[in-house]
Amino acid sequence: MTIANPQAESTSSSAARLRADVLLAARLLPVARPLADFVAVNPLSGFEHLPFDEAIRAAADLYGTVGHLGEDAYRALVADGRITAEDVASVAPAGTTLDELLRGPAAEPPGRRLLTPVEQHDRAMGTDLLAAVDAHAVRWCAPYLDQGQASWTMPGRHHGLYPAWRALVPLVPGLPGTIRRRLEALPSTSDEALAEAIDAFAGCFEDRRDLLAAEVTALPGWAAHIRWRAEAIGDVTLIDYLALRLSFGRALLGPAVNDLPRHRSPRPATDPGPIEPGLVWQAALEHRERVRLLGAISTNTPAEVPADRPDAQLVCCIDVRSEGLRRQFEALGNYETLGFAGFFAVAIEWQPLTGGTTLASCPALISPRHRVDEGSDDDADALVRYRRQLSGIAAGDDAVHMAKDTPGAAFVLAEAAGWLSGPAAAARTLAPRQWASMRRRSQRRLVDQPTPTVDLDRGFPMADRITTAKTALRMMGLTKVFAPLVVMCGHSSETAANPYEAALRCGACGGHGGGPNARVLVAILNDAEVRVALHADGIPVPDDTVFLAGEHDTTTDEVTILDEHAVPGSHRAVLDRLRRDLLAAGAACAAERCASLPGAPSRPTDPDAYRHVKRRSTDWGEAFPEWGLAGNAAFVIGPRTMTAGLDLERRVFLHSYQADADPTGLLLETILTAPLVVAQWINCQYYFSSTDPEVFGAGSKTVHNPVGTIGVLSGRTGDLRMGLPAQSVALGEGCLHEPLRLLAAVQAPLPTIAGIIERNPALRQLLTGRWITLVARVDDVSDWTEWTTDGWVPTVTTTIGAPT
Amino acid sequence: MTFREGLTRMMKIEIVIHGDDVGAVRELLGATGASGFTLVSGVGGLGHDGYHQGSLLFNEHDAQALLIAVAPEDRAVPLIAGIRELLAERPGVMFVSETWVSRPEYFR
Repeated sequence: MTIANPQAESTSSSAARLRADVLLAARLLPVARPLADFVAVNPLSGFEHLPFDEAIRAAADLYGTVGHLGEDAYRALVADGRITAEDVASVAPAGTTLDELLRGPAAEPPGRRLLTPVEQHDRAMGTDLLAAVDAHAVRWCAPYLDQGQASWTMPGRHHGLYPAWRALVPLVPGLPGTIRRRLEALPSTSDEALAEAIDAFAGCFEDRRDLLAAEVTALPGWAAHIRWRAEAIGDVTLIDYLALRLSFGRALLGPAVNDLPRHRSPRPATDPGPIEPGLVWQAALEHRERVRLLGAISTNTPAEVPADRPDAQLVCCIDVRSEGLRRQFEALGNYETLGFAGFFAVAIEWQPLTGGTTLASCPALISPRHRVDEGSDDDADALVRYRRQLSGIAAGDDAVHMAKDTPGAAFVLAEAAGWLSGPAAAARTLAPRQWASMRRRSQRRLVDQPTPTVDLDRGFPMADRITTAKTALRMMGLTKVFAPLVVMCGHSSETAANPYEAALRCGACGGHGGGPNARVLVAILNDAEVRVALHADGIPVPDDTVFLAGEHDTTTDEVTILDEHAVPGSHRAVLDRLRRDLLAAGAACAAERCASLPGAPSRPTDPDAYRHVKRRSTDWGEAFPEWGLAGNAAFVIGPRTMTAGLDLERRVFLHSYQADADPTGLLLETILTAPLVVAQWINCQYYFSSTDPEVFGAGSKTVHNPVGTIGVLSGRTGDLRMGLPAQSVALGEGCLHEPLRLLAAVQAPLPTIAGIIERNPALRQLLTGRWITLVARVDDVSDWTEWTTDGWVPTVTTTIGAPT
Repeated sequence: MTFREGLTRMMKIEIVIHGDDVGAVRELLGATGASGFTLVSGVGGLGHDGYHQGSLLFNEHDAQALLIAVAPEDRAVPLIAGIRELLAERPGVMFVSETWVSRPEYFR
């Protein structure tokens, strides 16, 4: 090959290689979306190619994390009888006994071993330059990444993070002259600056990828958000961020750069050595819980399936919080419930009637496939009037916010309306439920709400509707018996002053409420042409079956029926009964949950519990509105008869599945490669937010300081917090969420499952690495067997690391 | 007369990668000045680590993707260097070949 200008080619190739190394370093990080789109992710997703124990060790080098509860916590569980000698014997390396584990010394917390250049300097010289670099990066990233929340825009922002910073940083008052001069001499582009900094630090690293890894994990929350932002929006790059950090660090160090010692890479040894005792304890705890759950399912004798069609069927999200509602609802009448991923197989870009931006309402694993607008059968004038009224209210709110932020206007606002603020704040604090109710009533008086509909015609072709209907019904195993009313029940959560509200909403809907998705599937299933196609394909939906959408508020356990106006008069009686029973089931759920909610009445009646959780959802001072998915531990795939009647304590994801309706295994493959994967992300998010709350959790809500809409800080500076707040996983000093890796229990033919695992490397990796343990049985009289790389093992055990 | 007459020689780069790495390769394409590419998501086949299922119904993240880019040689060289660096750590394969295009202005 002939190259016209070898020097230029060499430069651009080396820039491309550096960019590739930055992209590889970025893969160590999870993807941190902004708060409004918060969905659970595995903080160690960049390590999923490793077995779990090796991933924990690799993460410890970068983050200084432990990856388990700490040996003291497990010793306490032994004292409580929660971990037994048998559990330890089942999972520990050969010869290790409970006594040996108890006698062994507690391991020291590992500490971060891969260090940035300024960290190396700090360790050697006793300085605190890393804090200065971190604070400097936060100081510039926060205004740059703002998306219009702040009233001030960073000058030169449109040039990019690094160029804007480079232009402004020499103007910062108080910078020592030598540092200012070093910053003024920086190259004009981030690629050049990063390359120059790496050259300058080359003497202290064996591999520049170690330097990049240490730098991106110094403030992993900011870097993870920038990683997301670079791909989703494209207005910032990690190269800019790294160039800023390394250039500033280099400027601080000055000639001391040349004195840094050579940093040895803490790469894992060929023989990783014995498994850490903490992980043996963890596996023992998991063994105990798995034996308990599988034993309960094996001995479960559910009531006979009624011969008649049920009065109603309720299809809920697989979310663990649906389990309580389903159990309580089934007990109240001739009802059947099913579990299905809460986006209801419709990956949509949803445009609400209120206008504004569209929402990507689908799992993070996929992109929206159809645009659906909320519509109205009301006349156009009514719609225009409605939007004008909403704009008026929004403009009023904006004016108040703007007045608060404008020095002169703030005094005027205080003079004119300050007398109202005190009583309003008092009312909101002392009577939050009544305050919220009054606000809703006022809004209803000010706005003429049109009757909403779902408009499929704009972006959901008929052929896709038919495919969606068939796929959804077959995946949930709803193909033979249909009740007169079938409710597709999404879920959401309404809480007050809670930046983490999206974490309580539906993960399958991208951290949004599942109501729109339920409404879209219902509109499809009620379509006459779709019904004809379903009949032709062997899914005989009776003419008198009406599909209906609902939304379960998991904070209050209240189910709202959506688009109720579309229900024909012939179904009103059954709808009234359904609504009454849903209310009762929700109140019973609320009473159950009160037992673990701090400050809740200990043994409330159902109506009192309902009032209490309503208050929590509207109280702007409530740090624990609900426990979300805390406690999640397992994922059951199979018919409801496996678990019906069991109290699974809202800890189990439940996906309905009928193997006999899936002869090719295609539907099971979809469940194992999508909902199970999302559940594993959730499981790991809760796991690591519990085991390493300082790095992978978001800390206490009480000191949260939102940064625009992108995330929160604990206080004024520091890392953009990843993961879940302490109030989602802990109570006081104790861990409310007991971290357990996910157990998948599947009822299906074993060869079908093995074939799916064989042809899906990502799934296989999660199983061989022990991020998930999969057990299966062919039918409800068979024993459980566990999938391993050596085939099915007819006992249920938990081992750590890669299976033998 | 050969089929190449009137056509312009360029480099064709085909990359089969994990769906989760598409964003990284796209960034490399953009940074090295490649003016376009073709993306085929959900490709299946047999690789050195076993069979890869093709398109998954609700998971674009874990499926394999095929990216095809065509560029003049001076842009292809850094792109190839960047992708080789990426593939040193990530699963995937790259095929590089000469190709002839009828509308070279589309690729400059």
